[in-house]
Amino acid sequence: MGLSSLEIYKKLPQTNCGDCGHPTCMAFAMQLAEDKASLDECPDVSDEAREALAAAAAPPITDITIGVGDYERTLGEETEIFRHDKTFFNETGVAISVSDAADAEAIEERVEQIDQLTFERVGQVIEVDMVAVTNDSDDAASFKEAVEIVADNTDRILILVSEDVEAVENALEVVADRNPLIYAATEDNYEEMTEVAKENECPLAVKGEDLNSLAELAEKVKDLDYENLVIDSGARNASQVLADQTVIRRKCINDKFRPFAFPTITFASGETPAQEIAQASTYIAKYAGIVVLSETVELSEMLPVLTVRQNIYNDPRVPVTVEPNQVNEIGEPDEKSPVIITTNFSLTYYSVEGEIPSDAYIIPIDTDGTSLLTAWAADKFGGKKIAEIVNEETDIGDRVDHNKLTISGHVAVISGKLEEESGWDVVVGPREASGLTNFIANRWEDELEA
Amino acid sequence: MIIIGERINGMFNDIGEAIKNEDPEPIQEWAVKQVEAGADYLDANVGPAVEDSPEVMKWLVEVIQDEVDAPVALDTTNVDAIEAGLEVHEGSAMINSTTAQPEKMESILPLVAEYDANVIGLAMDKSGVPKDAETRTAKAMEIIANADARGIPMENLFIDPLILPVNVAQDHAPEVLETIQRVKKLADPAPNTVLGLSNVSQNCNNMKLINRTFLVMAMAVGLDSVIAEANDEDLIDAVATAEIVLNNDVYCDSFLNQFRKK
Repeated sequence: MGLSSLEIYKKLPQTNCGDCGHPTCMAFAMQLAEDKASLDECPDVSDEAREALAAAAAPPITDITIGVGDYERTLGEETEIFRHDKTFFNETGVAISVSDAADAEAIEERVEQIDQLTFERVGQVIEVDMVAVTNDSDDAASFKEAVEIVADNTDRILILVSEDVEAVENALEVVADRNPLIYAATEDNYEEMTEVAKENECPLAVKGEDLNSLAELAEKVKDLDYENLVIDSGARNASQVLADQTVIRRKCINDKFRPFAFPTITFASGETPAQEIAQASTYIAKYAGIVVLSETVELSEMLPVLTVRQNIYNDPRVPVTVEPNQVNEIGEPDEKSPVIITTNFSLTYYSVEGEIPSDAYIIPIDTDGTSLLTAWAADKFGGKKIAEIVNEETDIGDRVDHNKLTISGHVAVISGKLEEESGWDVVVGPREASGLTNFIANRWEDELEA
Repeated sequence: MIIIGERINGMFNDIGEAIKNEDPEPIQEWAVKQVEAGADYLDANVGPAVEDSPEVMKWLVEVIQDEVDAPVALDTTNVDAIEAGLEVHEGSAMINSTTAQPEKMESILPLVAEYDANVIGLAMDKSGVPKDAETRTAKAMEIIANADARGIPMENLFIDPLILPVNVAQDHAPEVLETIQRVKKLADPAPNTVLGLSNVSQNCNNMKLINRTFLVMAMAVGLDSVIAEANDEDLIDAVATAEIVLNNDVYCDSFLNQFRKK
């Protein structure tokens, strides 16, 4: 049921009537907490108690779907305050804003620029996934026009930023099927805005003045029977955003506070790209469901933001790996450069890579991301396997005119088998990567001639 | 792990004598020794040698806190003595203890609330120590609900599921372990749990081995605190090790020393 005995007990009528078959309300509460009884057994239970118990069974943060097709994604559904406790699940959506006050050509140009913000990093595609169209013109017709231009020029998720119900309604005529986020319902417009969101079945952002007014407003919207929500505490100053984001996440996880049980949207308010990037990175690390930037569209500026997101949302329970079974060049190696064999556990790989003083080849063997000794002990770093990978999956034989593979001294024991299976000579290098500088400077020449 | 050092108890001859003679020295010596060994609280019990009066408890608290910063666990059934101790105590004291008996809670819990103190709640009432985990948990729940109703935060509450000696009440130990697990789920945040550890091995052979083995087992199911012999080096080593294995403390090679320095 999710609630503790004490919480349940406080919501029971405390009549101790015994009609539920348990001697006291306290005993009944303890049975309920252990799922050994049903609330229906109590004749006097209040609606409030029923709701509280049902809410406790729900996840602390609801999942909200936004966008369609390739760009459709889930926000929210988080369960952690710190990623090392388990993991963060659904990446922060990164949006860049486009103003409807610009002329058609400028809008088109900016959207094209945004649409190019796709990168490949460590084998994964990372990209800006949302475009926020802002109704700066205060004119419903211009807003609709701008939204249409944006929609025609990108498949990315749309956020319609306008507190004018008519403007949003008009814009939805052309893009409702893209499942955009409507931003935002406020104290003044929430009834109509919620109606519009409901009709179009689009997610709706609820914007408060501060945390208290946000909680009240979210409850009012929920009372209108709409829970497809994203929330905004209204903070724009970085330290206040940080505080609000933290309170929202903690209230959800620790106290199961239902008015905040939704993904959040935040806005970077910095005046320069550098400030915006710093703010966006902070909000990504601190629980933002969506972060909207307005100043920043350059490739060089967005790559760090997207890299932060990729790293923060990386699952810490899974070892980080590098692309295995390929030849990586360090510096400008030639046919006389050493060939170093290691594993694809990123900690191991980069320890080796970082210690190489000059030109060399490294081949990370796929060990499921385990370290050298772990892989060796688990039979994932044996002579036969390495031989197969080196000879059949890489072209290292064509790149060097020597026939020497260098392995760590920790696994010297595999050298016989590796030589036998691969046809290469095995050089047993230093045990620790820190010895590579010395090895390459003082020993490699001799090994090469040996 | 919160360790409540048990040594300042009039039951021990040196302490009994010291109290009788109003000699602070042996008491302060043990206060320092226990704190240095890792004790977070110092239990103070007048013992059988002199009458358990408010004046003696007050004197004990002052003598201890003159020498060390550690808070004191006021170990007495005399409510006036508790209040006298609380009046002179600096920082947040601990009251040892109340049971689930309504009149007992009625007299102790208001003091806990008033002085922002901690309190040990024994999972029993006037019918004695329950045999099974279920009844122990029900008694704990009564204390929890009562404390909560008085605005006492759960972190100030230490539920003691009451361990009995394994030589004469062997079947109680597993019930106690189960009770600890259940009590931790009764409220969110959960109340603390505590054991009077030495009880488990009374009149047994290998007392210290029994103590530390049981303590580690209890920690594994959620024990937060223990009244024990803080100067039993092996016991503290076992606690420090259990903290590491439970991922409560971050491992380092000198974890045994680090635990004592906390």
